Amino acid sequence: MATTIHVDQLYINGLAENNSSVIETIYKKFVPKVIHYIKNNSGDEDRAQDIVQETLITIYNQAKTKDLKLSCPFDAYFFLLCKRRWLNEIKKTSGKEVTIVDDNVYKDESTLELIHQTEIFEEKQSLFDRMFQKLGEKCQEILKTSFETKTMEEVAEKLNITYAYARKKKSLCTGELTEMIQESNQYKLLKK
Amino acid sequence: MQEEIYQSFENYFNNEMILEDKIALESQLEKDADLKQKFDLYKETSVLLAQKFSVETKSFKENLKNIAKENNSKKKSKIVAFKPWYFMVAASITLFFGLLYINQPIAKYDDYNQHQNMNMVERGDVIKSLKLAQDAFNSKKYKEAIKYFEVVLKQNPTPEIRYFYAISLLEDNRFVDSEILLNELSTGKTSFNNSATWYLALSKLKQQKPEECKKILKTIPTDYEDYDQVLKLLKEVD
Repeated sequence: MATTIHVDQLYINGLAENNSSVIETIYKKFVPKVIHYIKNNSGDEDRAQDIVQETLITIYNQAKTKDLKLSCPFDAYFFLLCKRRWLNEIKKTSGKEVTIVDDNVYKDESTLELIHQTEIFEEKQSLFDRMFQKLGEKCQEILKTSFETKTMEEVAEKLNITYAYARKKKSLCTGELTEMIQESNQYKLLKK
Repeated sequence: MQEEIYQSFENYFNNEMILEDKIALESQLEKDADLKQKFDLYKETSVLLAQKFSVETKSFKENLKNIAKENNSKKKSKIVAFKPWYFMVAASITLFFGLLYINQPIAKYDDYNQHQNMNMVERGDVIKSLKLAQDAFNSKKYKEAIKYFEVVLKQNPTPEIRYFYAISLLEDNRFVDSEILLNELSTGKTSFNNSATWYLALSKLKQQKPEECKKILKTIPTDYEDYDQVLKLLKEVD
């Protein structure tokens, strides 16, 4: 299905380009509403700022790796993502179901679909992160170094191993990580 | 066996496979759904790892943290330093000249030239000149900033750098050069077009061409983030 790209795509592109002016505009135009909402719903300024930053990092990551196309206003997309993240957090910390007083503002299907995609992307990413933490120390080190460093020659030099071993180990460690992900229950759920 | 599979994936993604092996792997992927699933997941994992550890991601997070901090502490002004005694002196001078020129138009470039700080250089591997340009710009040493911007622009002519370069030129009264850049930015498809138009208007104001300034101001859309400034200046030049 072809989707029309909303003019607010400029905010997504600006985030992906790490454009300071765009980020500042987001902070001026869209963040105050989120902060206000969280503060009125059992949160404080610091937690609200964390929620905003976490959401912007998720959008950045999705834009960089999945070519995120905005089909609705950025305001609606961003506000709902932050709001749902905050409500989930309250649910987790209080262990209770939270009654969502819905403002009935954004019921547009394309907004909801986009939010769903971003949330799935984030769950996947956090699954990858958790599995990465479960890898052995050596594997973590070689993967981290090989993605931070430009060439495998430099990786070998940094870790004081041979080039051939560095290459072999990188592919084996990535392979091991994919196996752990594939076998996890959450991955099976995400694939459904 | 698994080892060989992962190594062949790695070689494939790095474009380090001889053609026959590449064709063989591709035809195997078409036939074997399990292998295809492994291949796709290997690719996705590599992309996410690259994203997680990239220098770009680190600098994005750092930049975000700084901008958030600026906004959190409610520092409304983006001017680097505020020194009360300067303000007192400035206020008396303004009052003095204000009294002298009471019948002159009130719109002044200096009332509007509080530029946002450059916030690009928080990363470890950036070019030295960009850091020097940013430091000079943020401390209002525009002549010095221009010199460094010119070095950076040779390698990295991004819209953001061109934008700050144009502001520096304007500060240095190099109106023609500045306006060429601002015109390009204001008609381009970057996120700087409204801000560039605003600076074009300021350039006219600085050259004491209020009519041209007004004409440009009127082209700025109302959703521009600093539209309150546009309205204020429009009133003053009217």
